[in-house]
Amino acid sequence: MNLWSRIRENAVLYIGILVIFYMLAPIVVIAIFSFNDPTGKFNFEWAGFTTQYWAGAFDNEEINRSLWLSIRLAFFTSLGATILGTLIALALVRYEFFGRKAANLLIVIPIATPEVVIGAALLSLFVYASAALGFTTLLIAHIMFSISFAVIVVRSRLIGFDRRLEEAAADLGAAPLTTFFRITLPLLAPGIAGALMLTFALSVDDFVISNFNAGAEVTFPLYIFGANQRGIPVQVNVIATILFAVTIIAMTFVILQQRRAEKMVEKRADDDKKASVAIPI
Amino acid sequence: MTTLRRRLVPYGLLGPGLLWLVLFFVVPMVFMGWFSLSSGSLESGWSWTWAFSNYTDAISEYSTQFGRSFLYAGAATILCLLLGYPLAYAIAFKGGRWRNLMLFAVIAPFFTTYLIRTIAWKTILADDSPVVEVLKFLQLVPQDGRVLATSAAVIAGLTYNFLPFMVLPLYASLERLDLRLLEASKDLYASARLTFLKVTLPLTAPGIVAGVLLTFIPAVGDYVNATFLGGTNQSMIGNVIQAQYLVINDYATAAALSFSLMIIIMIAVVLYIRFAGSEALMGDEEEAK
Amino acid sequence: MTNAKEKRPFMKVAIAAAGLVAALTIAACGSTGGTDNTDVPTAQGGKASGTLNISNWPLYIDEETVNDFEKKTGIKVNYTEDVNSNTDFFGKVQPLLSNGDSGGRSILVVTDWMSQKMWDLGYLQKLDPNELTTVFDNLIPSLQDPAFDPGRGYSIPWQSGMTGLVVRTDLAPDIKSVNDLFDPKYKGKVTMLDELRDSAALVMKGDGVDPTEASTEEWLAAVDKVKQAKEDGQIRRFTGNDYVQDLAKGDVVAAIGWSGDAVQAQADNPNIEYIQPEQGCILWSDNMSIPVGAPNSPAAYEFMNYVYEPENQAQIVEYVNYISPVKGVKEILQKKDPALAESDLIFPSEEFLSKCSNQTSPPGDEAQKKEVENAWLSVVEG
Repeated sequence: MNLWSRIRENAVLYIGILVIFYMLAPIVVIAIFSFNDPTGKFNFEWAGFTTQYWAGAFDNEEINRSLWLSIRLAFFTSLGATILGTLIALALVRYEFFGRKAANLLIVIPIATPEVVIGAALLSLFVYASAALGFTTLLIAHIMFSISFAVIVVRSRLIGFDRRLEEAAADLGAAPLTTFFRITLPLLAPGIAGALMLTFALSVDDFVISNFNAGAEVTFPLYIFGANQRGIPVQVNVIATILFAVTIIAMTFVILQQRRAEKMVEKRADDDKKASVAIPI
Repeated sequence: MTTLRRRLVPYGLLGPGLLWLVLFFVVPMVFMGWFSLSSGSLESGWSWTWAFSNYTDAISEYSTQFGRSFLYAGAATILCLLLGYPLAYAIAFKGGRWRNLMLFAVIAPFFTTYLIRTIAWKTILADDSPVVEVLKFLQLVPQDGRVLATSAAVIAGLTYNFLPFMVLPLYASLERLDLRLLEASKDLYASARLTFLKVTLPLTAPGIVAGVLLTFIPAVGDYVNATFLGGTNQSMIGNVIQAQYLVINDYATAAALSFSLMIIIMIAVVLYIRFAGSEALMGDEEEAK
Repeated sequence: MTNAKEKRPFMKVAIAAAGLVAALTIAACGSTGGTDNTDVPTAQGGKASGTLNISNWPLYIDEETVNDFEKKTGIKVNYTEDVNSNTDFFGKVQPLLSNGDSGGRSILVVTDWMSQKMWDLGYLQKLDPNELTTVFDNLIPSLQDPAFDPGRGYSIPWQSGMTGLVVRTDLAPDIKSVNDLFDPKYKGKVTMLDELRDSAALVMKGDGVDPTEASTEEWLAAVDKVKQAKEDGQIRRFTGNDYVQDLAKGDVVAAIGWSGDAVQAQADNPNIEYIQPEQGCILWSDNMSIPVGAPNSPAAYEFMNYVYEPENQAQIVEYVNYISPVKGVKEILQKKDPALAESDLIFPSEEFLSKCSNQTSPPGDEAQKKEVENAWLSVVEG
């Protein structure tokens, strides 16, 4: 195979990698400026190299608190929204029932609603209910605006799903729940993983709706937005970089573990083969 | 399974999620709907007056921003599709063992707050930055021109921010694609192009439809990118609604604008689904059965 | 926020959601009440103890003051930096306040016009001067009788600042007047604040009109002038605080901005300077107020008095670099930090402020105010 045809063969991979670079460009800038040593309170002019903010990455109590709040919130949001969304997606794709069109509509409309209106309307509801604003109201709001996204991602995986696998399982005598956990769920996994990630990102990134319904809680975006008024501390860059690095490293680690496990299995299979050759029965 | 039980199953599955949406979306929206037909002010209170003029006034006053929002969101959606499809394809078929890592690299930047990322983009696209110099050299930007505070910057920002919304559903449907179908097509001497157009594309249509809607719908109502990357003539309808609500405290106009936006989006979505010939998002899912 | 309220909020909200629909159906022909300030209570004084919740702007206090206050008084302070902008903050507390609930806050800090707006809507309590003796002993005379709150009946200044020109003196050395912003040679290199009471008022001063005396027509004329400049491409953006970044990068050479930002940005780039416009500046203050439904107002009074002790105030000023409303701070800082004490931006002389006007809202009745605000909105969000 000559070079040109190899390039052509993998062109889509190269384009894909370029797009990934595009996605990562701001992270690179954020990481570079985490080593900046700004002379004043603003961190957007390069002023010199320092590692002092890395050394004191978690010194800022307020950043830590808001970050931890956002991570907790996003965790429960993605869990809740993905569970509710997957159930809805299953119902919509698998079943014929009265009111399906209405249900479909109800899934799409929240995405089309401007955030400020959702935020303000929810706040009115909470005030009317005299519910104390805080983590619970934030969680209610975040799950609400994340459900639709979870439904759509999971559903695009479910459509055209090969149902014969499930039927086969049922024919072999598997109970419906067993079929669901052993067959349906694993096949749905990429969709569910996508929904988890998307809803996590949505939650961790939300400003407007949180601003209305947070009460005295300060999420990470709320903190950043406020800090931006008078200069974002360099620690924020450090923490953003750490967050990114940790997730990527953890991911790589998992993948490498998987590889090793696969190799072990292969190797054992090989050994078995050799063994069986060595000892003729 | 008895017929009755089988009939009740979908409601059981829908129940919790829809209840959540009804309580925390529909109910507050009824409240907003009440506002959208009211007149009054914060000082004098609001009263229900069937003020349909709220709608007509709002739409005629801000038709420019409505048009601009759909234009920007449309452009960003097309760009997302053009960038997202090759990426999703590469991850699904060329990623090999690094597939999950690549997928993660796409979405991990979004775990940091948009504001930090947007500030980073402002650094990258500053008037005298190397990137802009290159664009000027390539004659893509006029010599005395700029990138920030233009429509191009807003569209680029929307594209960047909504790309994962396109990539994830595309990936989900590509990953499920039966590779044997592609091989069969090859065996039948179809060119790579023909295979793509006749096999891959139609089979991933649900993913495309979902991706387009997930990108387009939230992008129309977005206000963040126009706020930070736009200039004086790039305000989108989301910015207007935000300002009507927060700055002027004209809750009636803000609500009327929101409902107008939602109605227009719903019409656009229905038309799009008719046109796209797929019912992946709403209505019957014939292909699902 | 009481414990009883925190119990099972989900169920409560669910029940209330059903109730809300019912109430709306019944009220479909009625109206929700407007509000005024005819019967607002006076915040109670007394012995201070317990917990105090404060909402203030981000990075608007040093790291020690709250601790010192807690140590001295035994009051537990929850100090939250959740006021990012007057309008965003108003949006999120308005539904609470109109319900007579402060969300647990005992002190909130907003800018003059927002203090006035909240007062007019009946969202703030009256203050008892007998509880604020330290405050009134030390409040500088120029801030004792502002037009919106003569005698300081409901607002106590936190810090003050000036709206004027923030300029890259290396790139635009000749900008001295508000009108220089309209010079075609700076086309596309100028930004203005998105706030009517800052930008339109300052532009008006450029035309020799005093915003505190201006008529609706004069406000509209100023808005129109900005609109024209925007359509010519003269103005690059309308901004919040983020204009400083544009200046630091040189994307923008001159901006309508705030004095405190310039002081802080100078540390990054010494060429960023606050220029007092030839026509003077717009003076404003952020004020502490006690909202309706506030718990523990004695502790709120205690805190207000505490920050008005010159020693304590000096500690805050040293950190935030805005204009202090407290007497005697300059003398203290002269010993601690002479450079700061000499700055015209932190301790402005009377001469420096001679042409400045206090920040004010457009005049007239509700309809006239709304006309100006809507005109401005259609420029900013055009």
